[in-house]
Amino acid sequence: MSAGAPPPPTPSTSSATTSPQIGADEWVRRAGERLVDRTPQLVLLLVFVVLVALIPVITSNEYIVRVATDTMLYVLLATGLNVAVGWAGLLDLGYIAFYGFAAYLFAELSSGHYGIHWATWITVPLVVVGTIMLGFVLALPSRRVSGDYLAIVTLFFGQIFVTLTTQGYRWDWFGFGGVHDITGGPTGLTQVDPFRVFGHQLTQARDYLWVALAGFAVIAIGLSAANHSRTGRAWRALRDDPLAAEVMGIPVNRLMMFAVAAGAGVAGFAGAVNGAYYQGVFPTSFAFPTLITVYAMVILGGAGSLPGVVLGAIVVNVLLEVLRTPEHARWVFYVAVLAGLIAKVRPWRMLGAVLGGLVAFGLVVNAIVGAVWPRGTAGPLYAGGADFTTHGWFATAVRHWLVLPKNTYELPNYTIGNYAFVILIALVLTLTVVRGWKRYVLLVPTLWLAAFVWENRLVEEAPTTRPLFLGVILIVLMATRPQGLLGTPRVEVV
Amino acid sequence: MTGVLAFTLYDWHYFFAQLVAGLTLGSLYALLALGYTMVYGILKLLNFAHGDVYMVGAYIGYFVLTALGGALSPVIPVVPLILLMFMAAMTGCAVLGVVIERFAYRPLRRAPRIAPLISALGVSFFIQQSAVLLWGAIPRSYNTFSLHNGVLFTYVTIGNLRLQYAQILVILSAIALMASLTLFVWRTTTGKAMRATSFDPEAASMMGIDIDRVISVTFLIGSALAGAAGVMTGLIYQNVQPYMGFGAGLKAFTAAVVGGIGNIGGAMLGGMLIGVAESLTIGYLSSTFQDLIVFTVLIVFMLFRPTGLRGTPVLQKV
Amino acid sequence: MSGAPLLELRKLSVSFGGLVVIDELDLHVDEREIVSVIGPNGAGKTTVFNLITGTYRPDGGEILLAGENLVGLRPHEITTRGIARTFQTLRLFLNMTVKENVMAAQYGRTRSTILESMLHFPRARREERKIHAAAEEKLAFFGERLMGYRWNQPAYSLSYANRRRLEIARAMATEPRILLLDEPAAGMNPVETHEITELIGRLRDDGGYTILVIEHDMHVVEGISDRVVALDHGVKIAEGSFEAVATDPRVVEAYLGTAATTTK
Repeated sequence: MSAGAPPPPTPSTSSATTSPQIGADEWVRRAGERLVDRTPQLVLLLVFVVLVALIPVITSNEYIVRVATDTMLYVLLATGLNVAVGWAGLLDLGYIAFYGFAAYLFAELSSGHYGIHWATWITVPLVVVGTIMLGFVLALPSRRVSGDYLAIVTLFFGQIFVTLTTQGYRWDWFGFGGVHDITGGPTGLTQVDPFRVFGHQLTQARDYLWVALAGFAVIAIGLSAANHSRTGRAWRALRDDPLAAEVMGIPVNRLMMFAVAAGAGVAGFAGAVNGAYYQGVFPTSFAFPTLITVYAMVILGGAGSLPGVVLGAIVVNVLLEVLRTPEHARWVFYVAVLAGLIAKVRPWRMLGAVLGGLVAFGLVVNAIVGAVWPRGTAGPLYAGGADFTTHGWFATAVRHWLVLPKNTYELPNYTIGNYAFVILIALVLTLTVVRGWKRYVLLVPTLWLAAFVWENRLVEEAPTTRPLFLGVILIVLMATRPQGLLGTPRVEVV
Repeated sequence: MTGVLAFTLYDWHYFFAQLVAGLTLGSLYALLALGYTMVYGILKLLNFAHGDVYMVGAYIGYFVLTALGGALSPVIPVVPLILLMFMAAMTGCAVLGVVIERFAYRPLRRAPRIAPLISALGVSFFIQQSAVLLWGAIPRSYNTFSLHNGVLFTYVTIGNLRLQYAQILVILSAIALMASLTLFVWRTTTGKAMRATSFDPEAASMMGIDIDRVISVTFLIGSALAGAAGVMTGLIYQNVQPYMGFGAGLKAFTAAVVGGIGNIGGAMLGGMLIGVAESLTIGYLSSTFQDLIVFTVLIVFMLFRPTGLRGTPVLQKV
Repeated sequence: MSGAPLLELRKLSVSFGGLVVIDELDLHVDEREIVSVIGPNGAGKTTVFNLITGTYRPDGGEILLAGENLVGLRPHEITTRGIARTFQTLRLFLNMTVKENVMAAQYGRTRSTILESMLHFPRARREERKIHAAAEEKLAFFGERLMGYRWNQPAYSLSYANRRRLEIARAMATEPRILLLDEPAAGMNPVETHEITELIGRLRDDGGYTILVIEHDMHVVEGISDRVVALDHGVKIAEGSFEAVATDPRVVEAYLGTAATTTK
């Protein structure tokens, strides 16, 4: 070996352009990455509790406090669902029925319905224990039943619960004993008592915010401790490989029941708070759409990560709240699209090209449509409620960029919007299939059409747009980032 | 128990009417259950969105009916009209099913088991809400009673028994469809490929079978059947609304479990059983309990006979 | 060494879908013995393991551990009675760390309840320390390979040979009386195979375990076995020392076919 010869060049591993695969390399790369992982969870909890507790102190805006209380209830729900889905890997699709059961039980015990008004310090623990027991009972068949079947059984159970509560106002015991009104039927039970603590009735949103927060703190500490113990390890083993876990001495069925029951207990507490806070319980609050909402929170935040699902609950509920009012919803849409583009489109020149192309495309289409069919661009911008606007810089800009048709009887806007919606879905699906420059080219009309559908259709239909958004979250997350925001990527045991 | 038996024999006609209604309902469940059972057999996936494909089929039939003049004044005779509705719904749903598989499930073939299930939930919810967005939450009616003066609901008497044309139509077409499916699965090359893939996907692909194509065909057939079931539902029960797929899907899945998941004959048998059970419950107890009965059947089977009536015990290779 | 065997299979039979897989098998393993089970593929060797651990239920016969019949018990109950196994195709808890894999297997040897864990009761804390110590002790058995920084690495980051070692460590953590090792040397190069052979010997000598091994590699079988049992089509066809079984004509025929027995 001659001394002066340089060593042969090592081949470059183009790791910069390939995304890390699950495995040793990816794990090493990620090691020590996230701030959240390295901060002790207790500190995180403390910070969270203090921040949330201060919300009603800092702001006197009742709306914000109410949204915070609502969010806190969802935080509780997401925490409970995380035990079964995130920690033990069980698909519990009947979870929302636990929430409803608890709320209804609380209502039966403290309302004008039966005239029973038990004290808070009795009803709340009773409701929690009752829900835990329901959880055990529901998980009992799991001993014979694989994960998939558990999903169907729990889903069916959730459906049965909705049927029972909706029909429960004319319950007859197979024709004997007359007709009883157990659940108040579709209109639910009202006049539910608020909480009474230390002789003081809790009537304000901020009271329930603090109650929920305190409950959450206790629950989070307890559950976290359980998860770091032998039970948590057994859950994780069960999640990875139930058969191997059982052969290693872990009583799999018992642990499945613990997981479901623990989650049910948390839902039980949340249900009691729900009943007292809203002073009423209704069947529609505890049905499939709410279940999907909680699942979206857990999945987005990261199933298996307690801070993750809390974050997921906050993000999803705040977004849903924002989507209620067109003013704010509109901004969310445009900001999200822009942020997505900035994050994903590289290099910068391509981003500029796409944005420029988008603006140009819109102006051109608007001009053409305007010339050919004047009514097509004469419409105003939807501004919420029954308001429309044609003034303001934003409205003017959009009216020249998008096509906002004037509403007529023969061709109402919603028909145009509907067709556009279907075409938009087709375009988005096509986008996922094409590659390279074709993708960027297709991106322009797709984004424009998305804005079109948004402004002409979705903005007005908030009650439907919100659920659509949830469904999309689930589908997209599973395909692109199944571990959510704070979850750890998992290797599948094939 | 003897009371029920005595009651049954006393009012034979009532019992028979409930039985036929049950078989009609059961035919619908059987058609739906086939889609569930075939997909589960191959992919081990619970396709939650299947019920919503059925709902879309019902709506497609409705729109074809309306486009051709509606039940009150159809521009073509009844028979071709109904045929056209079936074809349109089956085609549309077949396409929908294939699209769902291609974009929501195929990317997740190697993902953890839970991922396609969550995705299926998302797809189901998305389709339901899209239906609300596009067509509104208020139910639409096929208005079959007005079709040709309600010819479909006239009774036909065979010997001692009375049936409606509509019921005969549904039961016979379901049987015809299921028979064609059985022939397809057992006699054609694609059918053989489907059976091979559901037995062992890896081995099948090593034998040169295009797994992707087989899976797409499975979804295609299952969804087409669901579309047919959707039109039948509209014809008999009039109303279609965006959430109709959810409950029907659950019951159809129960039927698939009862018959033995992965087993085609079992799905047909299970569907009939569940339909009859539900119908008898409505007839003799009350409609409040119809969902509860089906749920109970599901639990009982899962606890005591998880492989169903005709399923083969699956051996876990350890 | 007591007279009665530690593990005894009496007339064990099982059929799957009409096919008889195990046919009236008699097998025994004495305390601190190392017994190897050999036979061609499909002979039913892994099925025997599955029957012993309760994953499959036999159609007939008995499985006795120190005289107690295990048939009908659930797998985790069988494990706590003292039987542990590894898998032919590794079945580690891939998303858990190396140490957690071993700690998880200690579940059956601890008793603190969820409530006690949540409230950090003394018993829970004590048992947690015990679990940590036991895991470290089992992992130390494999030298430096699974020690130190390796403890907190996820199991999916391990090499193949280390994964096999981890599975054995995990099985050891259930504190069994008898270890069932299913092809422990599968997929290993000659150096690793030699290490495994030594390891199995150490498991018996230092660890005090009784061991039942399924193995294809005859070097390993020769190096470790006190006794060898040969199976074919679910039936025992030979039993004895390695030399006796390896040269038994029926065994040769099972592996190589009839013509082979004539060419000696």
